[in-house]
Amino acid sequence: MHLTPDQLVDIAEGATPESSMPHLAACAACRAQLNELRSMVSAVGKVGVPEPSPLFWDHFSRRVHDAVEHARLKPARYELWRWLRASGVRATIVAALALLVVVLVVSRTRAPHDAATQVAADAGARDVWSDVAADPDSDASLTLVASLTAGIGLDAAGAAGLAHEGSAEHAVTHMSDGELRELQRLLKEEMARPGA
Amino acid sequence: MDTPDAALAALDERALIEACLANEPGAFDLIVERHRRSVYMLCYRFVGNHEDASDLSQDVFLRAYRGLRSFRGQSSLGTWLYRIGVNLCLNRVSAKAPAVESIDERQFVDERAESPSEAMLRAERGARVRAAIAQLPRKQRATLILRAYHDMSHQEIADVLDSTVGAVKANFFHALGSLKKILGGEDA
Repeated sequence: MHLTPDQLVDIAEGATPESSMPHLAACAACRAQLNELRSMVSAVGKVGVPEPSPLFWDHFSRRVHDAVEHARLKPARYELWRWLRASGVRATIVAALALLVVVLVVSRTRAPHDAATQVAADAGARDVWSDVAADPDSDASLTLVASLTAGIGLDAAGAAGLAHEGSAEHAVTHMSDGELRELQRLLKEEMARPGA
Repeated sequence: MDTPDAALAALDERALIEACLANEPGAFDLIVERHRRSVYMLCYRFVGNHEDASDLSQDVFLRAYRGLRSFRGQSSLGTWLYRIGVNLCLNRVSAKAPAVESIDERQFVDERAESPSEAMLRAERGARVRAAIAQLPRKQRATLILRAYHDMSHQEIADVLDSTVGAVKANFFHALGSLKKILGGEDA
């Protein structure tokens, strides 16, 4: 039976003496493999790394020192992320947002069966944004989400992975004024359509 | 930057970490000073150029600073730093093709002992081996670098890579075999 990779590595590195493996003397294949290992270890070991200038190390230490000082003085974002991870607040936020989505979907689904809402929609003049702005406390789900996320800014949401680059949240929060106005116009137009 | 004082310099590793956690001025600078060269060399082995190696090394220390409270001392600080470094480097080399420096910059040797043609030959051989190592699968590459250039034991490598001694030896064996194939049996 041929030697295993473990055994060959140990012999090639000198951790096991060749004499302790009688098979080696009788097996040309294992001897060839061992010689290949040794020659590769030797070839790899000859490849050096250029030593940086002695001046580099002081410069490097200063860079690290400055970066660490910066991190020490502005730890808020990192500490908030750690707190979110440790405290389970992140799960609460996700649950609250999921609840919000469910509530919105349900209310949108039920809307055509609600006579009052239907009349308002048919009138085509209902301004959803004005309604919410005028009385944000009227919706219990919005109140719940608002209370849960009162202290959470966009940075925190981003740190929690809720507004990563490429997400809809990220796109919305990074729009220009003109883009926001256009989005608002499109949403109003959509919400004013009969049956919306 | 605070110059590490003699009292700090006399501290052992555990005490130095405690001093860092207590915001003792200069304590983390001393950790950087003690480990900067080995961390830089590790990063250089992965990325093959000074600029990226320097940036990655800085990142290693910054992450170490931020995560120092989570360091439980189950391994040495050096092994822990290597662990951070290997993860950072593997992520970096996955995302970016390594920028290889010119042959002149590739190696440091005492050139007084060799002729220009020998130096050129050695540099070319080194470049071929370096390029071959860059083609190895991630764990094989990390294992080879830690074993061949950082003189870490199989157990230490297993700790760094979250692996076992058996797997480390197998990876080392296969890494050398793969290198042999990549180099085409030439006299590397």
